[in-house]
Amino acid sequence: MDTTNVITIPHSDKEPRKWKFSELLADREVHLRWEKVRKYFFLRESTYDMTNLCNIRCDGCYYYEGEKQFARGNENPEAWRKLMREEKARGITYVVLAGAEPSMVSELLEVCYREMPLGCIASNGFKRIPETVGYKIHISVWGNDETSLRVRRAKNLLLKQIDNYRGDDRAVFVYTFTRENIEEIYEVMDSIVTHECKITFNVFSSPVGYAGSLRHTRDSLDRTRDVMLDLLARYPGHVLFSPYNVVAHTHQYGLHTLYGCSYPRKNPSTDIGLGRSFRQYRADLSWDRDVACCVPDTDCDECRHYASGSAVVTARLYRHVTDPDTFKSWLDYVDTYLAVWVKGYEKDDHLCRTMITPPYHTN
Amino acid sequence: MGGGFLMPVGTDNKALIIRIAEIIISELKLEDITAETFDPDLDLVDELGVDSMDLATVVLVLQDEYGITIDEDDYPKLRNVRMIAEYIEHKRTV
Repeated sequence: MDTTNVITIPHSDKEPRKWKFSELLADREVHLRWEKVRKYFFLRESTYDMTNLCNIRCDGCYYYEGEKQFARGNENPEAWRKLMREEKARGITYVVLAGAEPSMVSELLEVCYREMPLGCIASNGFKRIPETVGYKIHISVWGNDETSLRVRRAKNLLLKQIDNYRGDDRAVFVYTFTRENIEEIYEVMDSIVTHECKITFNVFSSPVGYAGSLRHTRDSLDRTRDVMLDLLARYPGHVLFSPYNVVAHTHQYGLHTLYGCSYPRKNPSTDIGLGRSFRQYRADLSWDRDVACCVPDTDCDECRHYASGSAVVTARLYRHVTDPDTFKSWLDYVDTYLAVWVKGYEKDDHLCRTMITPPYHTN
Repeated sequence: MGGGFLMPVGTDNKALIIRIAEIIISELKLEDITAETFDPDLDLVDELGVDSMDLATVVLVLQDEYGITIDEDDYPKLRNVRMIAEYIEHKRTV
């Protein structure tokens, strides 16, 4: 396994130098990256379950956990148009359209896109979403075709997904590492690379009460880390990830423990940020602050979701302004997040290839 | 300045208020407003639409400029330029 371009440095007991923000920005490369990513600080997200319909049924699906699955779908385009206008009025600039399967209601997607031009759709990729919907599209992959057939009851799913989205700059394939499919990624990568697609990584995060075989262990997280680093080294042109993404999402502690989740479900503050503005709308357009986060019904202690990290790690700018490598790692993370979530945004090379320790965490 | 954290900022702090306004205008790239016309009581979140990333950026620049540390937990106290000035005054005197 070739991970030679990623170096792990041992923890040092020396008193760290205190860096000023301006000193960190004095590095031209860092300064340019900072200016590049800060242009997107205006993004303010909320998420929307578009329908309770789906064309496949997967083991461990987050949508069919908890109460939200019982919301009666609102398929009235005018209701969605009105909602989008209201969302814009309260400062939302980015929408994540999800559950159960948004491609089942493409007319509603078009309505949303016409009102709110920045956003992303989480889809299983089985049915192509029309080009007139110019959002990013995240296509979920849960293993090779054999696993997809077993877990998702969908035959030749990857082939179908690639057929639908090959050469489509909206599309990012999202491979979810479970405890059982870690090595299968290599087979998937062959297809992704052959068809010139882009991929990013997610880590299975158990729904509340889930005790099934997909749940990660310390050992499976370590193996996932090794595989991610290997793929990052082998396929830099196809993998949208960074060494710090690997650190954050395969750490023995989940994102909430490491960074403190800023979504309302775990964040009582309504002063500023996600705690103030984020809502998670169900298919009937209702919302409930107490359960609002990017993937509701996830066990927060187990949460390593790529979607969660995109907000939670990114929001902790302050904690990462400590030394050059930590700040560079944060910039790499944000650069990756934007490339995954914003259409037309291109990721640059990593600024930091060192595996840093997440700030405020010494284990 | 002998005022505590919650005391009103005196006229001798006008320069501080102006400088904070300059930093906010510069960092948030605000147009059609000058430091002199910036209302120090304008609510940065409710009225100016500042979000957490904007505020974090301003905080980092203020830390550099005034040699203080602003804890993340204190962000909600920084609601307007006047409160930021009071906060900085307090930090510099303790």
